Amino acid sequence: MGVSETYARGRRLAGEQPFAIVVGLVAVWLVWFLVEGLVTGRIRVSNVLSYAWDGLLRGLIVGLAGIGLSMTYSILNFANFSHGDYITSGAFSGWAVTYLLAGLGEANIGSLLLVGAGGSVFGGALGIGITTSPLAVVVGMLIAGAASIGLALFIDRFVYKPIRDESGIALLITSVGVAFALRYIIVFVFGTDVRGTTSAGEVPRVSFYLIDGSFRINAHDITLLVVAVGLMLGVHLLLQTTKLGKAMRAMSDNEDLARITGIPTEQVIRATWIVGGGLTGIAGYMFVLWKGTLGFNDGWLLLLLVFAAVILGGIGSIYGAIAGGIVIGLTASMSVIWIPSEFGRAAAFFVMIVILLFKPQGIFSGRTTA
Amino acid sequence: MKYEFVETFLLAPRALCGPRLATSHSRTPEVVRVSLLEVRDLDAGYGELQILTDVDLDVADEEYVTIVGPNGAGKSTVMKSVFGLTTHMGGTVTFADEDITATKPEDVIHKGLGYVPQNDNVFAELNVEENLEMGAYILDEVPQDALRMVYDRFPILEERKDQKAGTMSGGQQQMLAMGRALMLDPDLLLLDEPSAGLAPDLVDEMFDKIDEINEAGTAVLMVEQNAKEALRRCDRGYVLVNGQNRYVDEGDKLLNDEDVRQDFLGG
Repeated sequence: MGVSETYARGRRLAGEQPFAIVVGLVAVWLVWFLVEGLVTGRIRVSNVLSYAWDGLLRGLIVGLAGIGLSMTYSILNFANFSHGDYITSGAFSGWAVTYLLAGLGEANIGSLLLVGAGGSVFGGALGIGITTSPLAVVVGMLIAGAASIGLALFIDRFVYKPIRDESGIALLITSVGVAFALRYIIVFVFGTDVRGTTSAGEVPRVSFYLIDGSFRINAHDITLLVVAVGLMLGVHLLLQTTKLGKAMRAMSDNEDLARITGIPTEQVIRATWIVGGGLTGIAGYMFVLWKGTLGFNDGWLLLLLVFAAVILGGIGSIYGAIAGGIVIGLTASMSVIWIPSEFGRAAAFFVMIVILLFKPQGIFSGRTTA
Repeated sequence: MKYEFVETFLLAPRALCGPRLATSHSRTPEVVRVSLLEVRDLDAGYGELQILTDVDLDVADEEYVTIVGPNGAGKSTVMKSVFGLTTHMGGTVTFADEDITATKPEDVIHKGLGYVPQNDNVFAELNVEENLEMGAYILDEVPQDALRMVYDRFPILEERKDQKAGTMSGGQQQMLAMGRALMLDPDLLLLDEPSAGLAPDLVDEMFDKIDEINEAGTAVLMVEQNAKEALRRCDRGYVLVNGQNRYVDEGDKLLNDEDVRQDFLGG
């Protein structure tokens, strides 16, 4: 009787949710593969930890960039496809200043301001790094934020504001246009070459010996961790405790009601671009500092992951963006345990689809910044 | 001031013989003089669609006025128009001797009006206290005395001040919405169907609260589908049909008028 009941329950589950069973089986296999690999020594514990660390940092960047996207979505009601190029613009502006500060006197100012376009200056040769030129890095980071804020406000004033009342689709298509315009303005000014900004070998790092291998953390990992977590905490406090933050949440919740309550909606929109733009620019700068290369496609390629993270987390929620970013980052990095590294991105999107099939509204469902 | 108004009203010759047609009302200059809110010849709607035609409406200081009428008569549209949320097509809205016809929705609250819409009238994702804080957004500081007053009037809100508004019952949300609108101690409170969707035993409580608010000195302009109860409690009522004033009189008189009863109150 017990057996037949179990059998009946199994049959019912198979009938109702065949997909859940497939996913469950795949998950079991993945765990088995990992455990068996760790036990037999085929997979190193230290490597798994390194992948996780890498994934966490990647996830923080995606999450940080995603906060801005999520905020503009929830308050302005449109998916901003030019967000990726705000990331790139912030990165280029910030790095131009970092190059200038780090290389003043060593190379000509034009080459420095163009971030070594055409191989005129190499970032590695300037010895840029958080420990070797902290001032250049911090100022560059702030400039990256400021430049993205300026750009976001400028574009909003001249492109999005005049069509604020149009449908979300009109705004979305417009933002695709803005994305291309920005990207090729960057190409026009800075060129298409991918340059190395820091020389990986020179970044100070500590190695731990961990069971079966070494696990490294470098100074830029720590910088990224501190900056990203600090800013995320800052946004959290802004939204939960300040009057402006509460007004932002109120407006994303119910715009008409916000209006009749006397909340100046245009001011809140401007504040949203300032916060979102600043975070986006800094995310772009930190991304480049961390990975050590800079190219005109960086933000655009990152945007796909950012969108995945934001949708996964529940579009409109900043906590969703952060959580989604970390899930996406961890998946992209840790998938190399099971599959070739070329498929890391694909795995991240696959996981997004699987999670959305079970939670269609995202992890933090609902259209809100809260 | 309230009594002065009623006196003026009763002195108008046609007031003595049943409900007056609204058009005659707008020609009574005495009424105009004591008005806090004054709507004249208002045409309004949404986009191309006109809903209101030549609507006249007055609310005096501390007066309690109700708009009743069949579904689709444009009752809510009158309120939205006062707050600048519709497409204006003609006429004027004056509040405390100031023309607010073209005032933007976010600025109307500065003039001393509070508005509780029928639906979506709380910030669902914010907690109770944050909702009330938003009610006083235009002030630099949250006015503690007003907050105290709202909590005293609606004790349930203080008990649940950390609860997300969206998770409260309909009646509690309605109280929160009213509390939010009272945070600036408005001269005139606009209430759009405050009893809609409430359990029957809560309806009376809600009307009692509105009486209290009015007795404390706030003029009330209310739209209600619960017409009998609303007319019983108000000072004066308007019957709106097809976007036009049909009748206007003291609430009791409308309630006892044969035509009004037959056509709008179900006999």
